[in-house]
Amino acid sequence: MKLLICPMNGPRNIDEFQSFGPVPAEPDPDRTADADWSRHLFRAENRRGIVVEWWRHVPSNYFFLAERDLVTNEVVRTFDPSERRDQS
Amino acid sequence: MAASAVFPFMAGGAADGTKLPTGALALSDLTASPRFGLKGGGSAAWLTAHGISLPAVNHIGAYHGMRILRLGNEDILLLAEGAGEALAELKAGWANDAGPKGYSSWREEGWAWLRLSGPHAPQSMSRLCALDLRADRFGVDDIAQTRVGHIEAVTFRSQTGFDVLFDVTASVYFARTAAAAARHCTDFLIDTEGHA
Repeated sequence: MKLLICPMNGPRNIDEFQSFGPVPAEPDPDRTADADWSRHLFRAENRRGIVVEWWRHVPSNYFFLAERDLVTNEVVRTFDPSERRDQS
Repeated sequence: MAASAVFPFMAGGAADGTKLPTGALALSDLTASPRFGLKGGGSAAWLTAHGISLPAVNHIGAYHGMRILRLGNEDILLLAEGAGEALAELKAGWANDAGPKGYSSWREEGWAWLRLSGPHAPQSMSRLCALDLRADRFGVDDIAQTRVGHIEAVTFRSQTGFDVLFDVTASVYFARTAAAAARHCTDFLIDTEGHA
């Protein structure tokens, strides 16, 4: 059984969670070259490394963030979205 | 205790004719009991301003005979079993307030409220729910938001066993699933409460 640690509810079976995909970059359309903007809109990233993703714990409807290694599928850490806002 | 019918009552509906199990695992339906859910920005501040001391997330507090379930920072459920008057007073105050006060999450209509009791209740819960709900891990003021019988549910301890809140449209399914789990329980001593 795969487990994911919900920052609010603790370790739970993975089937209690729903993935919402990577946190999208937010380039400024006025300051981004057309080619880069087009790439941002139409191309999905497919790189190696750590990605930050949105996840939801379904029974409590709680949204949080997870850092996941795209090669090993290991979840490095999960945290409340407020932590990310505090950083930026 | 006589077997009772299941909510929602509707002639010809899915729940029509379904009886709750009795015996070593008994289910009782508290869906008609008064409760009130508040959700969204301002909910916690409004309740605090009206004298309610809110517990931490996933814990249960008390106020004037009601149980205060903190399901999230701004998601709070008040259960008023036997404290209907206190809740009615609070609800009237909330309705007459111009806000900000959060919004009603309609838990009294959207959620069923079933109580598992009887000697097989802990064993049945261990079959229905993947979490460790033994007494030394899951206390009287703890809340688990998880899956019970494969459906999303909120569960906590009651004096006689466990209370489970879930989508009211699944009440018949839940009653049947709990009864099926109870059929696999044994009278042999199984340590479901963490006693040495």
